Amino acid sequence: MAVGLTLIFGVMRVVNFAHGDMMVWGMYLAWLLSTRAGVDPYLGFVACAAVLFVFGVGIQRVLVDRIVDAPHEMQILLMLGVALVLENTALVAFGPDPQRVRSPLRAATIWLGPVFVDVARLVTFALAMALTLALYLFLTRTDLGHTMRAAADNAYGARVIGADVRRVYAVAFGIGAACVGAAGALVSPIVPFQPAGGLGLSVASFNIVIIGGMGSLPGAFLGGLIVSVAESLGAVFLSPSMKELVSFTLLIVILLFRPAGLFGRPAP
Amino acid sequence: MKWVVAAAVALLLALPAWLNSYAVTVFIFIFFYAFLGQAWNIVGGYAGQLSAGHAAFVGVGAYTSALLSARLGLTPWLGMLVGGALSAVLGTVVGYLGFRFGLRGFYFVLLTVAFAEVCRIVALNTDAVGGALGYYITFTGDPRQFQFQDNRAYYYVALGLMLVATAIVAAIERRRFGAYLIAIREDEQACEALGVNTFRYKMLAMVVSSFLTGVGGTFYAFYLFSLQPSSVFGIPLSVEIVIRPIVGGAGTVLGPILGSFILSPLAEASRIYFGQGGWSGAHLIAYGLLLIAVVLFLPQGAYPALRRLWLRSAR
Amino acid sequence: MSDRRAPSRVHRRTFLKAGLTAAGTAAGAAALGFPAVLRAQVPTFKVGAIHPVTGPLAEPGQACRLGAQMAADAINAAGGIKSLNGMKIDLIMGDTQTKPDVGRTEAERVINQGAQMLMGSFDSGSTQAIVPVAQQRRVPFLVDIAAADPITANVAKAVKEGQQKVQYVYRNFPTGSSFGKKAVQYFSEVFQEAKVSPKRVVLMYCNDLFGQNNAKGFQAAHAAAKPGWEIVDVIPWPEPPQDLSTEVSRAKAAKPDIIAPITRPASAQLLLPEIRKQRLDILGVVGPGSPGLYEAGQIAVLKEDLEYVLNSTPWANFRNRRTQKVADEFLKRSQGKTFDTNSGYSYDGITLIADVLERAKSTDPDAIVEALRKTNFTGGLMQYAGPVVFNEIGDNPNAVTTMIQILGGKPVAVWPREAAVQKFVFPRPKA
Repeated sequence: MAVGLTLIFGVMRVVNFAHGDMMVWGMYLAWLLSTRAGVDPYLGFVACAAVLFVFGVGIQRVLVDRIVDAPHEMQILLMLGVALVLENTALVAFGPDPQRVRSPLRAATIWLGPVFVDVARLVTFALAMALTLALYLFLTRTDLGHTMRAAADNAYGARVIGADVRRVYAVAFGIGAACVGAAGALVSPIVPFQPAGGLGLSVASFNIVIIGGMGSLPGAFLGGLIVSVAESLGAVFLSPSMKELVSFTLLIVILLFRPAGLFGRPAP
Repeated sequence: MKWVVAAAVALLLALPAWLNSYAVTVFIFIFFYAFLGQAWNIVGGYAGQLSAGHAAFVGVGAYTSALLSARLGLTPWLGMLVGGALSAVLGTVVGYLGFRFGLRGFYFVLLTVAFAEVCRIVALNTDAVGGALGYYITFTGDPRQFQFQDNRAYYYVALGLMLVATAIVAAIERRRFGAYLIAIREDEQACEALGVNTFRYKMLAMVVSSFLTGVGGTFYAFYLFSLQPSSVFGIPLSVEIVIRPIVGGAGTVLGPILGSFILSPLAEASRIYFGQGGWSGAHLIAYGLLLIAVVLFLPQGAYPALRRLWLRSAR
Repeated sequence: MSDRRAPSRVHRRTFLKAGLTAAGTAAGAAALGFPAVLRAQVPTFKVGAIHPVTGPLAEPGQACRLGAQMAADAINAAGGIKSLNGMKIDLIMGDTQTKPDVGRTEAERVINQGAQMLMGSFDSGSTQAIVPVAQQRRVPFLVDIAAADPITANVAKAVKEGQQKVQYVYRNFPTGSSFGKKAVQYFSEVFQEAKVSPKRVVLMYCNDLFGQNNAKGFQAAHAAAKPGWEIVDVIPWPEPPQDLSTEVSRAKAAKPDIIAPITRPASAQLLLPEIRKQRLDILGVVGPGSPGLYEAGQIAVLKEDLEYVLNSTPWANFRNRRTQKVADEFLKRSQGKTFDTNSGYSYDGITLIADVLERAKSTDPDAIVEALRKTNFTGGLMQYAGPVVFNEIGDNPNAVTTMIQILGGKPVAVWPREAAVQKFVFPRPKA
């Protein structure tokens, strides 16, 4: 999920405030697939990713493209508008109640001595790692990936050497959206989701990406680990309801002292 | 231009005589949110520092005056100043951290959101302010306690607040302070190169903005009597505050007012007409679409666009 | 700027602007006032029924609205208010969206459309925002559902101290403090009846308005009653949670005999499977009172995880023959939902209002308040510990909770004896 966000930012310098809400749609798509077509989310996530890829490309072409060079405030507001539309359309379409997707994996647990491991989470983790690896390979080994990184580094230079920057942007946004769609689908059996959850997920994504470093893939990955561990520790040592406080405080500290995060490049 | 404004104000002053209490309430919220939007306008519109956490100041102002009134019997007429002052302190902290550490654009937005959320979580977990249950203020209708038995009294207070904030913004725009803020918004690095102390002006804008917003918090507390952390510190309130100046015209004197006159009735109408069936949140879809449309087609907001239209039609 | 160049144009432009603003405002004001004119024809008694039918509490809000509507239909079908010449009850619906400012605006709107009484509004925050409207406009306000004690207590205090003349706000629902007391009482009674003595209870709750209030009430009541069991750990979580594995681990570490959860539907969906996954060895899950543990939707999602879960919650009295009939009608009209706390108390609220009107024999607000204060009503469908009466604060001390249990995939009342439809199963059978 954070990987998708960092990709969008890294390539286009656009901050996607609608990220969390796109993830919620990923979850609902998985739910639809599961309840209407009987497709298990651990397989169906591919479809969710595909749908969101198309959506991402669409959004980019129609909306974001026009404001890529505009001041940041405009981008933020635009994505905020998209977020509002996404969240409330989900509300109208699916109702406000939390849903969960049933999957046979959900109930399974493996016990390793006193510690237990939730199979569903394990599978999600494995798939997420696999996807991240795939993305990494894509960016470093394929032509399109190279072009994308070139465009990220220097859009003007990339144009000069003939790269179709607009297409690259569209693909980047699409992949970012696909990531988040897949993430949503993979997580849908584990976590109850509702339209109002979009905001929380966006903030969580930002937390992770800022801590790991905007624009850096390994940063996003590590950021995710750091934030989850910090939150869990917070839940154990402080009151569990304060664990959100931990991640926000962490965010503030990172923003102040190292806004580039652990691995990222400095802000423009 | 000046006598148009005077005529409009006179009209607004006279309206309650003809309006029923429901319409008065709608206007009260138009004025109130316009007031908050106007306060935001100082730092967000003129200085260009997008704060998405202004609800934090509303909350601080609200809880402060409510607690002072209940525990110490301090009349909210004074309590609002204390609340405003505390909000200004918070604003100073946020501003200092943001500006001293050079946070711009997106990073500043995130900082403000983080602060607002921290406030909300702290309030949620602090029993002394009622925790998640919230703080319930006793309705006495006593004007000495900033409460009124007649809704119309609230109308005039809200109108007064809106006019005062607008006057302040107009004054800022006229003075050098306003010119500096606009210059900072347009190109901060150039300003710094010219030797302008951008930090000082941004801080000043933040302090004034947060103070006014905090005063607004007191109005909220003593009009609704019901303070919940999620309502009063939450992101939905910050969105309501920000969207009005953005749609109406950030960085203009009449922008927030115009925005409020557009958005509040829109929300009302959409709730009444769509609220019956399953169309929950329809007005928020409209907000989102409107926001997208404004960013794409009217990036400066409705007011400048209208003004251009009128200028053209008058020719 | 062009202003200075052509003074004559300034006049035309500014005139246009002023005119348009005035016209716009007048049109807007007229539009706002318009509906009132249309409704003033048929003399019915209008009650503003304000609930959060959209927003996060839409499901219970819609249940409340339907319950109220059904009650109004039943009363009108039976001939309306006889002492007022068969005057029928007409509901004007409002939606708070769970926001206090919307709550206030909606209250004003329905009063403007002719509402002579208000009923609502489920969540304490919006309910509290409606209180000033009731007091300002002298419109009696019956709180059908909302637990926060200050809602009525504040008004009672203001009247006692002379700042308000009349109390217009009354509540027919257990207050936050009574939830806790009854829960502790039922816990002890059920343990005693089952002849088991669990010692360690872990309280887990959702850290929102409802959860916090209930948790505090439960703990306070426990401290006051000093029963034979201890609350060994208290674990809140932010609502809605993404994951409760940490919290449940912590609970497990406290070696509980009983898990006492206060949930919302979202958190219940995480909590109960987690308790099973982490193989907590407990005598049972006994809730001090919360949603999320009995609704049809929850049972459909959680299935076996909800079986044998006990919950001390306001509930309908199914030993009353009428209740089942109303429940069946509700099932039909709501397309499959259970007649529960929310729909039930709203239903009773309207029935209560009808009774008040019968005795008031007038639509004057102060006469209605008079009649309200003298209420002694036994026609309710909910489980009460006596007739509906109102004390000096304006609350009904006989509005109490019932211990229900999910047995065979259905919620049934199991305690106290006079309310029980079935015998409870406790401790829960080993999986």
